[in-house]
Amino acid sequence: MTTTSGAARPARGPERRPPYEALARDLRAALGEAHVLDAPEDLVGFEYDATIERARPDVVVFPRTTAEVAAAVRIANQHEVPIVPRGSGTGLSGGAVPVRGGMLVVLTRMNSIVEVSPDDRVAVVQPGVINLHLQEALAPHGLTYAPDPSSQRVCTIGGNVANNSGGPHTLAHGSTVNHVLALEVVLPDGRVARFGSRVPDALGIDLRGLLVGSEGTLGIVTEATLRLVRMPPAVRTLLAIFESVEAASHAVSDVIRRGIIPVAMEMLDREIIRIVEPRIHAGYPLDAGAVLLIEVEGVPEGVALDAQIVEDACRHAGAREVRSASEAAERERLWEGRKAAIGAIGGAAPAFYLLDGVVPRTRLPEVMARVMALSAEHGFRCANVFHAGDGNLHPNIMFDPAEEHATDRVLALGEAIMRVCVEAGGSITGEHGVGLEKRSYMDWVFTPADLAAMHVVRDAFGGRERFNPCKVLPGGHGCASGHAAEVVRHLAGGVYV
Amino acid sequence: MTSPPTPSIEPLRHALPADTERGPHHYAIDGAEPVAGFAPNDRAEVALLLRTATALGLAVAPQAGRTALRAGRPLEAYHVALDLRGLHRIVEYVPDDLTVTVEAGMSLRALQDELAEHGQYLPVDPAPDDHVTVGGLLATARSGAWRGHLPGARDLVLGIEAVLPSGDRIKSGGRVVKNVTGYDLHRMHTGALGAFGVIVEASFKVAPRPAATATLAASEGHLDAACALARRAWDAALPVRAITVLTSETARRLDVSSAPTVIVELAGSRAAVERSTADLAAIGPFTDASPAAWPHLRRLQGDPHATVLRAGVPPSALTAMLDATRGLDVLAWANVASGAVVMHGRDLDAAAVRGLRAAAEARGGFLQVEGAPAALRREVDPGGPGDLALVTALRDRFDPTRTLNRGRWGAGL
Repeated sequence: MTTTSGAARPARGPERRPPYEALARDLRAALGEAHVLDAPEDLVGFEYDATIERARPDVVVFPRTTAEVAAAVRIANQHEVPIVPRGSGTGLSGGAVPVRGGMLVVLTRMNSIVEVSPDDRVAVVQPGVINLHLQEALAPHGLTYAPDPSSQRVCTIGGNVANNSGGPHTLAHGSTVNHVLALEVVLPDGRVARFGSRVPDALGIDLRGLLVGSEGTLGIVTEATLRLVRMPPAVRTLLAIFESVEAASHAVSDVIRRGIIPVAMEMLDREIIRIVEPRIHAGYPLDAGAVLLIEVEGVPEGVALDAQIVEDACRHAGAREVRSASEAAERERLWEGRKAAIGAIGGAAPAFYLLDGVVPRTRLPEVMARVMALSAEHGFRCANVFHAGDGNLHPNIMFDPAEEHATDRVLALGEAIMRVCVEAGGSITGEHGVGLEKRSYMDWVFTPADLAAMHVVRDAFGGRERFNPCKVLPGGHGCASGHAAEVVRHLAGGVYV
Repeated sequence: MTSPPTPSIEPLRHALPADTERGPHHYAIDGAEPVAGFAPNDRAEVALLLRTATALGLAVAPQAGRTALRAGRPLEAYHVALDLRGLHRIVEYVPDDLTVTVEAGMSLRALQDELAEHGQYLPVDPAPDDHVTVGGLLATARSGAWRGHLPGARDLVLGIEAVLPSGDRIKSGGRVVKNVTGYDLHRMHTGALGAFGVIVEASFKVAPRPAATATLAASEGHLDAACALARRAWDAALPVRAITVLTSETARRLDVSSAPTVIVELAGSRAAVERSTADLAAIGPFTDASPAAWPHLRRLQGDPHATVLRAGVPPSALTAMLDATRGLDVLAWANVASGAVVMHGRDLDAAAVRGLRAAAEARGGFLQVEGAPAALRREVDPGGPGDLALVTALRDRFDPTRTLNRGRWGAGL
């Protein structure tokens, strides 16, 4: 993904076709005047998500109920226009960009927490509920919803479900799919269907598990039933300071080797520490090569023991200092630098390109060395803040878009880093999704037969041509060939990052 | 019952090496033998078998541990047994990554033995025991008392290779612990009873073996009190791996008590288990108990001679669901965190199953027949496929000739 701080530029997108006016009229009749936008000035804000891609929808609808989503989908089908779901627009792979125009279904008005049941340890929510708002509603019950993407202050549960989002606590608790018990979904033909149940391992074939992470290509989630967990009685956060990323990477594997799975193991490298610390004052030493933030939780005696084992492993791997906090305020401060890291890069460089790749954890030392070498070869600074315990890298390539061919060179570096991940036995995305951005990399990890099977699934759901077209799978009618070609085309228009 | 004439399997015999053919008498399902059995040596032979069988219109039933063949509807046709036990190798195991990739015919026991050498395990406890194969574990997605406290097979699977009825070999997911690349077809295959393909390889996230475990039991005068106690134990947020409520009949069968009983398994570091043992004693009359209760429950759940039902109800409805078994000659127990009420009986009839299903559905739950005689599975729906339109659309595309487990999910499906 690329973070934008530049001026707007014209979006591409199909020329407006005459029928769009009839489409808007029919949608207004179904959803009400105020909940359908089609004036060009109103559409501009819905051209993008958090990526470089932009494309203008023909019409934007804001349904409030499942029935309205279904009605809007049926109307769009009658008019034969593409349908693209969207939450808060924080996606990092272009999944909500309406590349072929059509109807954008914005789900932010469906933001009710329908039910919190401490008895059954479930929450039932509409898709537009903000992740953090749910957490706040759960806290008084001593419960939590485990997936905690870094964008949790703004991202929606619907978007989390669509992308199978992760976060720092994925290490012990798993990604979104492990916490979604049931879904209500409007299918591409407008039918409303339910999958899963209020308890795990529902009857029948698990289409719930298939829908989570399908990036809005198989249906629009209109309600989710989520599994909740009790807040642990004790939590301890450790900050271990290392001379190098390599030493910190070894510590990560050593902790696991000692039989401990912390709830989080996050790494920040020297480059990011030097960006974050002057701004946030989290207490990270400026001369450190890397820091690891490690969190353990459980009953107090277990936590004390686990923390000791973690500390021993870190020191064994060469940590020069290990700090530890168990009070909430202290822990919060240690986390502050991690949480603010991506934002801080925005203030340190004119632009940056945030990558998402995943490798086996034991390959981290060599992969990180390769990432840094490649960045130097390509002439860029690269700051790393990532989920080390999961082997989930997030290199941030910093650049100045005013420099000639900057974006081409950045994309070339990003592609080279993705290659390194795949060659190390990993994959092209750990949590941000394929979307538009990585469609053209799909054949690095999948054979034509694998991709054909995925197309078969998409076809069976009925959304192949018009339901969030040009996302996840390569090919598709009217879709450009892939990331690099698409992005280069837009560069002509202007700006970014 | 009249069946259409059996197509010839001769071309299959010619296609596969002679040493792969096995006698059909080894492979009876619901009393019916296939025309032939084949035990391929590798996945290429599996692909060859399926491609040929599909071209011939044959009905194939994949199997290995043969622990879950009394699930779903009785097969509508059964020509070829596909025995996957020849695929039993570990493909890759990287202990420091906590990941393992294995062939699907490997038994859970063999896998656990391998993992134990590095102090690790695959944290699943399916019925009836570790003779379940990896492919069977995924195809049935069965879980035991650990579910809800620990992830299930569908959460632990990182990726698979499957052979489609066309003979195409496809992969989804990967071998890394966090991955959102492409559709998670491995989740669709998990629990599908082979509807879309035959799983031949799977990668899993594994876990460190807990340093210490302890089983504790507490009996109460009434089932209500036992369920309330189980609930308090769950809410204490201790390092538990299982919390199960046994009816008095079940407690007697397990030789634990003659009253409704809560059994808890703690698992974690020694310090955490010791502390939690004390915490449990403060919550209720918990005392040390034999861990033999757990394998006993697993065996009952996988009993090949009984009718075994699993209701899934919200945790708040467990007492009511257990109450619904009163008056029936069944052993029942409830796994609190997963909302599973397992019922084991010898002579349950269709009316009893329907009554229990109604009780589960009235509380927002469901009931699945995990194992029962064919006659009962003809008379009552053992548990449908879910969204019939979508499952049919998927099945029509992946297996249009219904090569795999013909009729398992319903008539013509």
